[in-house]
Amino acid sequence: MLLNLNTRVMLEFLPEIWQGFLATLMLSAAGFAGAMVLGVIACGLSIQPARLLRAPAVVYIDAVRATPLLAQLYFLYFGLPRLGILLPEMLIGVIALSLNSGAYIAEIIRSGILSIQRGQVEASISSGMTYLQRMRLIILPQALRPTISPLIGQAIVLVKDSSLLSLISVVELTRAGQRIAVERFMPVEGLVATALAYLVLYYLLKLLAGLWSRQNRLPGRA
Amino acid sequence: MHKLNPFVLTALLAVMTQAGGATPVAAGTLDDILARGELRVAVQTQGPPFSFMDKNGTRTGSAIDLTTLMAAEMGVKIVYLDFDWDGLLPALMSGKADILAADMTPTLARATKVAFTKPFIYVGAVAFAKAGTGFDSIAACKAPGTKIAVLFGSTGEKIAAAVFPEAEIKSYKGGGTLLLDAVNTGQTNCGVNDSSAVAAQSAAYDADTFTVMPEMLSKEPLAYAVRYDSMDLLSWANLFIDTTALDGRLQANLDYWVNSDAWQAAH
Amino acid sequence: MFWSQLDRVMGYYPVLLKGITTTVSLSLIALLIGVAVGFAFGIMRAGRNRPLSYLVGLYIDFFRGTPFLVQLFIIFFILPAIGIELNAFTAGVVALSNMAACFIGEIVAAGIAAVPTGQTEAAAASGLTKAQQLRHVVLPQAVRIVTPSLVGQFVLLIKDSSVVSAIGLLDLTRSGWVIVQSVPNGLLVFAIIALGYFVICYPLIWLSRRMEDRGQAAIL
Repeated sequence: MLLNLNTRVMLEFLPEIWQGFLATLMLSAAGFAGAMVLGVIACGLSIQPARLLRAPAVVYIDAVRATPLLAQLYFLYFGLPRLGILLPEMLIGVIALSLNSGAYIAEIIRSGILSIQRGQVEASISSGMTYLQRMRLIILPQALRPTISPLIGQAIVLVKDSSLLSLISVVELTRAGQRIAVERFMPVEGLVATALAYLVLYYLLKLLAGLWSRQNRLPGRA
Repeated sequence: MHKLNPFVLTALLAVMTQAGGATPVAAGTLDDILARGELRVAVQTQGPPFSFMDKNGTRTGSAIDLTTLMAAEMGVKIVYLDFDWDGLLPALMSGKADILAADMTPTLARATKVAFTKPFIYVGAVAFAKAGTGFDSIAACKAPGTKIAVLFGSTGEKIAAAVFPEAEIKSYKGGGTLLLDAVNTGQTNCGVNDSSAVAAQSAAYDADTFTVMPEMLSKEPLAYAVRYDSMDLLSWANLFIDTTALDGRLQANLDYWVNSDAWQAAH
Repeated sequence: MFWSQLDRVMGYYPVLLKGITTTVSLSLIALLIGVAVGFAFGIMRAGRNRPLSYLVGLYIDFFRGTPFLVQLFIIFFILPAIGIELNAFTAGVVALSNMAACFIGEIVAAGIAAVPTGQTEAAAASGLTKAQQLRHVVLPQAVRIVTPSLVGQFVLLIKDSSVVSAIGLLDLTRSGWVIVQSVPNGLLVFAIIALGYFVICYPLIWLSRRMEDRGQAAIL
């Protein structure tokens, strides 16, 4: 099946693949942005000593991480209307992606913070820094280095998870590849087109992440 | 007792040896199936009433019954391979399955890749809406901006675009129940799907949840599919459909599964 | 109404059970293999051997960058063309373990890189060989750094396993779709499915929190 790949048909579907590519890019970018916001907030709350602040964050993080995105998406799309809230499907998709990845990002950041050596924290406390100064100058910069890789990992997961949005009729990249499979009965061509397009997105992400960490010259082992 | 004329005898022998030395018939899929002793059928896990899982997780449905009959008539065992809709075609094309038995419409585009049997049934697409929302006729659904739910990649998708040109078509990737849910919760106003699927799936809801518009928006055949290298199997399958149509077994199957909801009780 | 629907869902108990069994067994096996191979990948990625690190990197990139469905289809439908025929479950395990190994490999490589250089220098100065440094000094610290990420990965694995329904395995998500055919309350059915996943995943999450708490008290 692989040997006589019909590239002509693949190119014929290029406009649709391109539309899907852009859609996935936008959905993932918006979803990731939302997830970062939610993740930072949830993480911040989850490391507070005060139980009242910590508990809701932990419940959110654990509940979301332990259940599939499909179920969460289903609830949002089919459940919200029952409460009278009708939102366009793309928005619901982005919300679902943000909520889902937000929980994972919270945990990633938390593990980065926890990986900082005790000595650093003690030294900064004894240097008379306030909590905020400590966070800003010592802890967060060091916490960032080990979190970059898992964060990119989560971004990649998010990009691929965005294909689930096809369930609620959102047009995205995977669906474009499936069109080739379903209309022309060329599943291999569809798979290859999909794989290539996602790989492009993946390498774009890696490039961005590489640029960002070089820009910020993070401390730690190179 | 007369002796065979030596000339005739020689001629006879010549003919016989010629026949023996003729080009051997290439082993076709049917031969493989008979040699193996099993017919491998690719079916969907989720496509009532043609093929689905019942309460106990056993595979059942119209296609299951018909293909079981096929195997019995062929004198072989039957092996089912379950897939999602997406996996059906690769299963056939990669050789894992001999025949694909689902509610697939033989379109010309699809037929460039696989060989379809004759149709075993004709269905049509119908439109449906939630009862009491004012969308009670085709004309109502034609209003500009109406949101219509269809299944990704189905013929319903194309039909809806043709019949409702000013509507907003939302195509869902998943099972037909997604469409019913979308219409029921108000995410879309109307939906378009095969009459058999709509009937089978809406039966699970309360009696008057949906208004199904009676007009058939299209007439489509449904057929099974084999690879183009299995022309022998194709001929046999076509003969099977003709035979069971003539002796009434095909109709009995369809009457039970498609034209009524008698099967609901047992499954 | 709700109770009668719940009743009907529970009537599908064999299907649910089959779904949970498939998901758990598939994920567990893939997890074990994925961790073993993933650690190997991670060590190769973080190692001094540049060409090896690069090659492994390319391999990892391919499997991290493409959708799992594509990988699964390749393993199940296209490998037969070069003579490797797998049944659905085996193909699922292979594909899932492979993907897990790639993600874990990157996580482990990052963890190793996050161990301060001072540690390896001190270890070398103490006369430990490279292998000993890795085993006694670098890896233990790397593991502690990446444990929460790893658990996150395990949990993702369990959720990714739902894609195998495309090649016919009846996993927990697919059993939800089967049930929703005849019990048209999608919210109820998928709530139960979500509960099923929760029951499987939460213990892992809880375990990782326990592991952290013992290793690291609140330091801030």
